[in-house]
Amino acid sequence: MRKLILATVVVLALALTMVGLASANGGPHGGYTATTDACAGCHRAHTAIGPRLLVRSSTYDLCISCHGSAGAGANTNVEDGYYLSSRDDPPGGADGNVGAANTPDNAPLLGGGFQYYQGITVTSSHDPTGTVLAAWGNAVDRGTTADLSEGLSCASCHDPHGSPNYRIIKATVNGVAVSVDQVDEGAAKDYDTEQWGAGMSNICAACHVAYHETGADVGHDTTNQAYGGGFTHRVDMPWNGDALTDPLIGMGTNNPETVGFGGYTLPLAESGTADRVVCMTCHLPHGTSAQMTGFADPAFDPSGPQGPIPAGDSSLLRLDNRGVCEVCHQK
Amino acid sequence: MSNIDAGNQVSEHDLSLIEEEERAEKRRRWLLLLLLLLLALLACVLLLFIRYLRQPEPLPEMIPLPVDVNYPPHYLFSIYGVDKPVGVAYSLRNDRIYVAETGGKRLVKIFDRDGNPLGSFAPPRTMPGERSPVYLAVDGAGRVFVTDRLQHAIFVYDENGTFLDTILGPDLTLSEYVLKHVNNLRPDATFAYNQFEHVVYYKSPGEPERTLPTPEPAMWAPLGIRFDRTGRLLFTDVRQERNAVYLISADAFSPSSWRNFDPPVISFGSTGQGDGQFLFPNSAVADSQGRIYVTDGNNGRISVWDEKGQFLFHFGGGSGEGALSLPRGAAIDERDRLYVVDAVGQNVKVYDVSGPEPDFLFAFGDWGMGDGQFNYPNDIALDRYGRLYIADRENNRIQVWSY
Repeated sequence: MRKLILATVVVLALALTMVGLASANGGPHGGYTATTDACAGCHRAHTAIGPRLLVRSSTYDLCISCHGSAGAGANTNVEDGYYLSSRDDPPGGADGNVGAANTPDNAPLLGGGFQYYQGITVTSSHDPTGTVLAAWGNAVDRGTTADLSEGLSCASCHDPHGSPNYRIIKATVNGVAVSVDQVDEGAAKDYDTEQWGAGMSNICAACHVAYHETGADVGHDTTNQAYGGGFTHRVDMPWNGDALTDPLIGMGTNNPETVGFGGYTLPLAESGTADRVVCMTCHLPHGTSAQMTGFADPAFDPSGPQGPIPAGDSSLLRLDNRGVCEVCHQK
Repeated sequence: MSNIDAGNQVSEHDLSLIEEEERAEKRRRWLLLLLLLLLALLACVLLLFIRYLRQPEPLPEMIPLPVDVNYPPHYLFSIYGVDKPVGVAYSLRNDRIYVAETGGKRLVKIFDRDGNPLGSFAPPRTMPGERSPVYLAVDGAGRVFVTDRLQHAIFVYDENGTFLDTILGPDLTLSEYVLKHVNNLRPDATFAYNQFEHVVYYKSPGEPERTLPTPEPAMWAPLGIRFDRTGRLLFTDVRQERNAVYLISADAFSPSSWRNFDPPVISFGSTGQGDGQFLFPNSAVADSQGRIYVTDGNNGRISVWDEKGQFLFHFGGGSGEGALSLPRGAAIDERDRLYVVDAVGQNVKVYDVSGPEPDFLFAFGDWGMGDGQFNYPNDIALDRYGRLYIADRENNRIQVWSY
């Protein structure tokens, strides 16, 4: 009997925790009750226009009704890559506010922007309008594309009904289970500091699986031979791993997140004693305005293995040219 | 006798000839007149045809019609040449339409009421990715007030789009800030502000441009903006900590007040879902009795307040006839009919608020891309001729409806 009561308490506690997490992002994305009117914000039972009873055939158009540059229904403006917020708190959250209330005006969003990023037109972005049906390295060789199960949209990666994952990232993306912990950074908890755990690469790997190289043999493909082999940068590794001792790699000893190089830093995933390099350390998933010139411009070698990539395309990189290399390797 | 008879016969013959000539002459005159009339008619038709070719829009109504009916308006035509419009306003002073775009170059565009473009403008010294004009209001002098979500400010322009000043907070304007820091600033000095640069620019004619550090940022995030019929400015504030509505008295906007801007302000509301609370209020309009109607966007309802800022009640939530999904822009006409744009309902819902209880009258529009169909509408403006202008965001147009 005691075990039954204990099990019931545990189940109830877990359920309540899940509800709290699911509604953490507020608005229409969770916290539903039996008599909620939130459904009608996006769905119609008998007069829907799009699939899944949506009031609109384009998920992106629906989402930017609130999350667009007008900021008419949310502070997370994904078109410009800003958290709009207000001018309430001093930097560092000295008044004790956390979360949205501790985010300064126009803080750059951690995912970047779809139209602009930091005021400049994006040079590459994911296209969430539902027309993209293929992804690089989606269970095929790197450098090639394969079909996604559906056209790419906001709802490919985010669950509009709430999720226990960080930033309502879906629990299953493209048929692949994804787990991304939100790391509570105490007083610094806000919208402009990375708060994801080491599982952050899982969201990218759900589609770009052939690039998810985690093997210890740095830069050498040991796990993804099924996708054509070759070499790719390792991810999900400690920032201060074996690269520190290899003079050829020339890794500096400065933490790229806290010290960086030349005034630039890169975010790492929170992972106990050694923070990790993940896909988002170098890439912005929504879009970036990084400028590509010279060798870094795809136009330099249009016949390269990457195929026909537009001139100036920045491949979602956070920094101009190959700045993301230098912040760690400091050549 | 026979000669006389013969003479008489000639004379009668001549007379008949003369009469016949006179009749023929009369017929010719009539024909000429008819021809002239036909030519004049043809000229009119040609002139109208040439006018149509030059301005291919429906001809304006000749007589302003009093809107005294309770049935839905009908679709007239659309104004194109706008990119993702979210805000629209009408100027009573000059019958102009002002439109705020969130796509393309993110300009405010000016049209006449028949859709002919007259110009465009944007905050000085800003790039498209640094500005986001959303809602607009036009005062009795024709000045255009534009809320900018990225700049966290209200920009003020004259009727032609010439920049006048920026309201940086409920008690601070840009000109006031510059004057406080610069001695002997000439009255014709110009200034500019960009939230993303850490300086304020000012320049007197004939002198080089100079800069000041930016002022301490105000704790606000202005979004919806309207003038009521007494000239008070109503705007909504969607800052995270406190969603609220602000009322600023009409005399705050006289030219002499710009440089000493400290008007009495009434504010009400807070962030939340309860009575007297808002989640992203998008618009606040006042009826003839002074009651204020706030479109409480993410709560899906209209919140009603008295003129002193005391909460009265809310309506339009839940389900059923007249229920709102995502209310955004609103307008109210002289008969106290409240027009609310429902962004995901894809229509405009109209309520009679002249009595003690709001009465849902009708909705017009549905989803689509055809005439009279909406694709995420966001705002509405009314003119004095019974026309309605609706910002149809994803269809990239302003729809014009009429009674």
